[in-house]
Amino acid sequence: MKLKYKITLSIIFSIIVIIAGVGLGSVNVPPSHIISIISNKLFSAPLPAEIQGTTSISIIWKLRLPRSLLAFLVGGAVAVSGSVMQSVLKNPLASSYTLGVSSGASLGAAVVIVTGFNIPFLGFLTLPATGLIFGMVTVFSAVKFASMMDKNLETSTIILVGMVFSLFVNAILTLIMSIARDHLAQLTFWQMGSFSLKDWSSVIILFPIVLISVIILQYFSKELDIMTFGEDQAFTMGVDVHKIKWVLLGLSAGLTGSAIAFVGVIGFIDLIAPHVVRKVFGSSHRTVIPMSMLFGGSFMVICDLIARTIISPSELPVGAITAIIGAPFFAYVYFSGRKGL
Amino acid sequence: MLTLQNVNAGYNGIDVIYNISLSVKEGENLCIIGPNGCGKTTLIKAISGIIPHEGIIKIDGIDINNMKREQVAEKIAVMAQISAVYFSYSIYETVLLGRYLHMKGRTFKEPSLKDKEYTDKCLKAVGLYNIKHKQINTLSGGQLQRVYLARTLVQEPSIILLDEPTNHLDLKHQAELIDFLRDWSKCKGHSVIGVMHDLNLAIKLSDNMLVLDNGNMAAYGNTNKIISSNLLNDVYDMNVTEYMIDSLRQWEAYDSYYNKSKLRKVN
Repeated sequence: MKLKYKITLSIIFSIIVIIAGVGLGSVNVPPSHIISIISNKLFSAPLPAEIQGTTSISIIWKLRLPRSLLAFLVGGAVAVSGSVMQSVLKNPLASSYTLGVSSGASLGAAVVIVTGFNIPFLGFLTLPATGLIFGMVTVFSAVKFASMMDKNLETSTIILVGMVFSLFVNAILTLIMSIARDHLAQLTFWQMGSFSLKDWSSVIILFPIVLISVIILQYFSKELDIMTFGEDQAFTMGVDVHKIKWVLLGLSAGLTGSAIAFVGVIGFIDLIAPHVVRKVFGSSHRTVIPMSMLFGGSFMVICDLIARTIISPSELPVGAITAIIGAPFFAYVYFSGRKGL
Repeated sequence: MLTLQNVNAGYNGIDVIYNISLSVKEGENLCIIGPNGCGKTTLIKAISGIIPHEGIIKIDGIDINNMKREQVAEKIAVMAQISAVYFSYSIYETVLLGRYLHMKGRTFKEPSLKDKEYTDKCLKAVGLYNIKHKQINTLSGGQLQRVYLARTLVQEPSIILLDEPTNHLDLKHQAELIDFLRDWSKCKGHSVIGVMHDLNLAIKLSDNMLVLDNGNMAAYGNTNKIISSNLLNDVYDMNVTEYMIDSLRQWEAYDSYYNKSKLRKVN
């Protein structure tokens, strides 16, 4: 199938997934009603008589639409971040988590949850803001330390230092959790990730961050293609490797950090989405970045839908669902077509 | 023209090559030979700017330390050694990436018609045009080496640096590569600087030779003079001349046997 048809199908698939994510649940709302409600809210279009005054309007507009859009943004952001990290670090297992984003963010969240402190003027944003700051500080420290140890900032040094920092921060987190046992459940749930009770404010903040980051990363798609062949090769082809590497690492760590700051740790998608996308669409980052956004976003919406409907009215942690569905799906896509399997 | 004056370079502050001085004119090819660990690859890395150096390296009279990365890449291209391919691209995509500097000025760095045509031309030159949509992770080492050569050529450099360019190639493709590079440099007035282990190929390609020994220049000059001297015996710690002559004798013996057997068959 031609690339443009694959891309068109992916866009249609993503729209269907978002509509399904918004429409399905304890109260099922048909797509026509969803479109009417969105049109009404955005353009003041008249609502059909059968849904006027029903709870569907609040369910769709106040709960499910922001939740599904947030899931889409978060899934897409971590998937794009994963694809960039894998290429920059030339390691198919690398992600922002390798550099300590999630450990740092979890530590930040733990500090806020345990101490209960509030950053003035930020209110409910204190938790995501602290998570993001701690996540970014961990990554920045790891990369800075790596550059002090190795002036050429070799990929293997970054990965090793990132893992050491990540383990170190995790150890502090474990200490905090063992001391502050009253907050253990809250901390554990934050680390599992959840989209529950998220409203438009999270979407409105995250949307421009994701949009701008993805556009900038897309701008560097050629450099990313070249860097997958190795830094020496990229350097001799005229790529300013050291500068671009900092920009790409910072942007992709920031993308993951911002996403998980709102919803807790969301793993696995950043690892599998880029591989699935490369398998279907090829390795060119011009396609990999936008398609990772669509695939990661859609996959996250599906996982969240399952997490909140499978044992409704209770909710399962979405992090567990991503791995339960993702692992066999990933194995099927990645290994299908290989002989002997 | 490339000139080196008293160049030292190495890793982590420890020099591996010392006081290298040489010059390579347009249309001239230089082969760097020497035993393992003598600093051949380090010299290639220093010239290409991958590692820092002390001393002076000039391209067309301009110190490379005063040139931007892009300006150096416009003049010098390095043919990569075969390494693990992490993510697969088609042959065409891989070679087209060599046009990076030509595409850089455009929005989202899209290739122009000229970039695409030049890529096709280079793919034809290395004999990969007919399989240009194949994924590079399905290629043999020799084919991949030709992909990297094509990517080096699309960069349109005036100097090509090669580090053991024939190590994955079969005999036919070794000969073809050397002939191709020699023609490329002589026709266009460009230069090839290559690290070689195979002395026969080094002789075929080069006008001048640099012999390195423990990071020092053991000899530098006209290829014929270097080869005919006894110096190689000292550098390689073996009788190189005798070894090569012995190989030739064996070939002559095979040739003679082959011709006799053919005669017998005819009779």
